[in-house]
Amino acid sequence: MEKIHKPKKVFVQGPISPEFVSKSIASHHSKTGIGAHAIFLGQIRADQKESGTVTAIEYSAYEEMAEHAFHEIREKAFARFELTCMHIYHSLGTVPVGEISLFVFVSSPHRRAAFEASEFVVEEIKANVPVFGKELIGENGAYVWKENS
Amino acid sequence: MSVHVMYYGMLAEITGHANELWISDENLTVGKFRSQILEKYPALREKKFKVAVNQKIAEDFAPIDPSAEIALLPPFAGG
Repeated sequence: MEKIHKPKKVFVQGPISPEFVSKSIASHHSKTGIGAHAIFLGQIRADQKESGTVTAIEYSAYEEMAEHAFHEIREKAFARFELTCMHIYHSLGTVPVGEISLFVFVSSPHRRAAFEASEFVVEEIKANVPVFGKELIGENGAYVWKENS
Repeated sequence: MSVHVMYYGMLAEITGHANELWISDENLTVGKFRSQILEKYPALREKKFKVAVNQKIAEDFAPIDPSAEIALLPPFAGG
């Protein structure tokens, strides 16, 4: 029987804490069919720009469309890979350098599917989800708009 | 016809607002809307953006119905 995956809340305000990540791992304890987890964490990098060093990224999104896009990515990943479960969390608002802004967590009976699905999901998010980012620079309110390559 | 238009990220800075009601005396396609918007905001000509109609990226030939929600989306930066 085809499993139905309900849309889940993806956006969180501010950085994603290591405690949140560890609690997510712990909550899979009872899912004993899982043999492999793959976790991707996106961290804010202190890039050098012409006007100075990046101190944080301020994220915004077209939230309704983004939630649909995340849902479609989940559906595609479940269709394409042998996955037991999947969780995606993305920050909105300000995330300082060194903090986590993206947490992708895929679980499978076997490692290959977990590795491949995590890469697939991250690339899909970068390309297809309407999230926008302002890279804040220095202390004087300067910024540049970020663009995924 | 009048449609609800939303601007995101740097595009909201260029247009000076996050959304507006777009009035047109003819039926719109995405392509027609795009040329009208570039006429009103010439600074957008230098920016890359996609047009979403009812939360889906739409090609220039796609029609826009009067109850549609239009969004102008600058390059994505998630992750």
